[in-house]
Amino acid sequence: MTNDLHVTFRVGTASYAVPAAQVLHLESFENATLVPGAPAYVAGLVQVRGRVVPVVDLRVRFGLPPVERTIDNRVLVVQVGTRVAGLLVDSAREVLRIDETSFEKPPEMIERQSAGFVTAVATVTKRLFLLVDVPRLIGEELAHG
Amino acid sequence: MANDKRTEPRNGEITGMHRTDDAARVLQQTGEHAVEIARAAQRLAESGVHQSLASDTASAALEDIAHSLDQTATATEQLARSQQEVATSARDTLQALDTSAADLQQLALSVATVRTDCELLARGSESTATVLEESARSLKSTAANASELTETTVRLVAAVTETSKSVADTAARGMETATTIEEVATTVEEMAAGSARLATDSRQVGEKVINIAAGFKSLVGALEIVASDTTETASSIEQTSATAEELARSFRGVSDLAGTLEEAATTSASNLAEVAASVEEVAATAEKMATVVDGNAVAIEALARSAQRVAQSGGEVSTLASSSAAAAMQLEAVTRKIGGVVEQTRTTSARVAGSARAGGITVGRSIGGLIKIRQAMIDGAGVMKDVGRRAEEIGDMVQAINLIADRTNLLSLNASIEAARAGEHGRGFAVIAEEVRALADRAAAAATDVAKIVRGLQLAARDALTSSAEGLRLADEGAALSEEARGGLQTILEGVELLDGSIQNISMASEEQARAVQTVSSTTARLEIESRTIARASSEQTQATQNLARAAGELRSMGKQTRDATSEQARALRELVKGNTQLTATAEKVTRATEEQATGAAELARGAVQMRGATLRTATALTEQIRGVAQMSTSVQEISGATQRMVAGIAEQANGSAEIARAMDGARKHAVQNARAIAEQAMVAKELEAGIRDVSRLSADITVATAEHASGVTSLVKDADEVRRIAKQTARTVGEQAEALSVLAGSVSKQTVSLQGLARITGDQATATAEVNQAMHVVRGRTREIATALAAQAKSAAAGVVDVATVAREVASLQATTNQQVEAMSSRLDGAGEPPA
Repeated sequence: MTNDLHVTFRVGTASYAVPAAQVLHLESFENATLVPGAPAYVAGLVQVRGRVVPVVDLRVRFGLPPVERTIDNRVLVVQVGTRVAGLLVDSAREVLRIDETSFEKPPEMIERQSAGFVTAVATVTKRLFLLVDVPRLIGEELAHG
Repeated sequence: MANDKRTEPRNGEITGMHRTDDAARVLQQTGEHAVEIARAAQRLAESGVHQSLASDTASAALEDIAHSLDQTATATEQLARSQQEVATSARDTLQALDTSAADLQQLALSVATVRTDCELLARGSESTATVLEESARSLKSTAANASELTETTVRLVAAVTETSKSVADTAARGMETATTIEEVATTVEEMAAGSARLATDSRQVGEKVINIAAGFKSLVGALEIVASDTTETASSIEQTSATAEELARSFRGVSDLAGTLEEAATTSASNLAEVAASVEEVAATAEKMATVVDGNAVAIEALARSAQRVAQSGGEVSTLASSSAAAAMQLEAVTRKIGGVVEQTRTTSARVAGSARAGGITVGRSIGGLIKIRQAMIDGAGVMKDVGRRAEEIGDMVQAINLIADRTNLLSLNASIEAARAGEHGRGFAVIAEEVRALADRAAAAATDVAKIVRGLQLAARDALTSSAEGLRLADEGAALSEEARGGLQTILEGVELLDGSIQNISMASEEQARAVQTVSSTTARLEIESRTIARASSEQTQATQNLARAAGELRSMGKQTRDATSEQARALRELVKGNTQLTATAEKVTRATEEQATGAAELARGAVQMRGATLRTATALTEQIRGVAQMSTSVQEISGATQRMVAGIAEQANGSAEIARAMDGARKHAVQNARAIAEQAMVAKELEAGIRDVSRLSADITVATAEHASGVTSLVKDADEVRRIAKQTARTVGEQAEALSVLAGSVSKQTVSLQGLARITGDQATATAEVNQAMHVVRGRTREIATALAAQAKSAAAGVVDVATVAREVASLQATTNQQVEAMSSRLDGAGEPPA
């Protein structure tokens, strides 16, 4: 049951979901200290619960134009292995139980377009959620960094 | 003796006693009487003796008387004879005196006739002089009247000039008013439409006024008829009175004639020569006078003709003055019409002013409302701003709520994640976290809703603010427009006030004009009156001159008569005995005077008839007048009806600016009418002026004619004075003659009377003497008879003496017998006290 829990969030017009097991906690986004030389999708470094965490701006990552920050901006603190990183989203307001069976393979065009970040799609009460690949979102670049 | 027998004892003793006493007493008395009788018989006898003696003496005396009576009768007869002679001679003298007195009386009659004629002549010349003086006075007054007329005319001309000046002024003011009205009309063009009804009513009023004027005119005509009738009546009365006076004079003449006749009979013969001389003088004077009188008559006839001409021109003046008066009346009517039009215009303008004022008040009210609206809008804007501020605050709060909801959402999510991580243990916690999240989301949604509402509210407030500002702007604009409207109305009001001022000026000018016209009218009326006076005076003058001419004719005839009479008198003097014809002439004169009286009476009757006719006409005219007045009253009632209708129309008119606009048009029309009326007035004034100039010219002519007249009359008066003087002189001389003659006649008649008395007395004396003579004869016879009777008496007296002696004797015996009886009775009484059987 625990594995069904997903944290949902929005970037642009679409809604996304990540398994709650991969999320340590959610934070509101205040400011980020810019890291020189870092890729453009890295918004900077933030201090969360006594740790310095790099934050990836999913808007930039998904190739969407930047917008003004609002009160709804959230930082999802995720852990992949030992690595902790923050995902900056437009908003994250729900924790939903999405059954494993609800996920389907995304259409090929979406898979190709989203550069492999979307691993599956699920429809919950007529709402469409894209399941994103967290390691891949923070994966190689941060590993390099 | 007889007494005893009568004393019969019928009752008791006492009664018998009494009777006896009485008888005794009577017997005693009888005795006494007998004694007295005896004494008387004694005396009678003595007197009879005396009487016979006296009778003898008387018969002797009577014889003497008869003798002397015889002598007296002889003397009386002689006296009677001589008296008869005296009477005869006195009768002869009387006859002679009678003849002379008759002659003198005839002469006196003739002289008296002459005197009467002279006096008549004097009176005639006196009256002529009086008439001439009157004429002169009348002419003088006519001249004064004419000069007054001229003066009045000058004044009238001045008044007319003033009037035309005033008319011009009024015209100028009318132009000004027209301009003002134009201005006002352009300001309130629409105000010019509505007073058609007013105009109609005004026209009706005008018609009524014309009706009234017609009524007045007819009234004036009737009054004029009454005036002329009154004049006729007056003249007729005057004629009547003149006739009456003439009658009175004639009567007086008759009485004078009688007086003169009486007086003439008392003139003395010693004045005859004087009379003859003065008669000659009188004849000469009469000749002279006749000549003068002839000249006077000619002059008077010329004067009469001239007076007639004057009267004619006076009549012309009167006619002109009448037409002037009519023109003045017309002028007055026009002026009154103008006054009415002006009044209407003033009313209209007042109405316009009232409407403008009302509009001003309305505009002021709307301005006040706009100001209030503005204030309200400002207030509303403040409120809106407040609302906006509050909405912002609400937005802040909503943001705070959002923030809190956001945080709560975050915390609940984290809690959910933590609970999931805790596995089975965190299960309940996860539920709570989920509920918290839902609450937080709901709160966030509500806050979002609130934020949305607040945003809408803010928008609405902003919109309200904007529209409020717009409203404010509009209100300001409205206020400005209202101010402008108020300004416009103020301009209208000013214009109307200006108009009102102009109208007042016109009204004032009209009033002035009316006053001037009234002055003209009154002056014209005065002129008319004066010209009428002049006409009347002229006609009087004409009449007077005609009278004068008549008097002159009479005078002429009288002069001729005088002349004739004088010559006749001369002839009479020469043929003193044949003077009877004069008496006849006098009788004829008396007859003529009586005829004159009769004529005068007839004239009097005719005058009375005329008077009656005039009175009847006056009554008719008065009836007409009354009818005219009734018409007038009807017209006035119609006017009142029209006025009421007009008032109703005016009330209707007070409805709105559109009708006011029409009224303004009416006012404009009125102004045009005004101008036209003023032009008319000016024309009438011109006519009036021309007429008055004619009057002035004519009055100047009259003045000149009157002056000529006056000079002619003055010379006439002088002549008349001379005539009067001569006539007076003649009258005086003739009077003196008459007086002398009357004294003569008086002396003769006195003489006659005394002679007559003498004759009568002498006759009487003769008669008396004859009577005395006769009586003497009778007395003588009677005396003789008496003497005879006395002798017889003496004889019988002697016989009586004897008889008386016998009586005395018998009485003495009677006495003795009585004494015896007395004694017997007393003894019986003393003895038994019984009554005698």
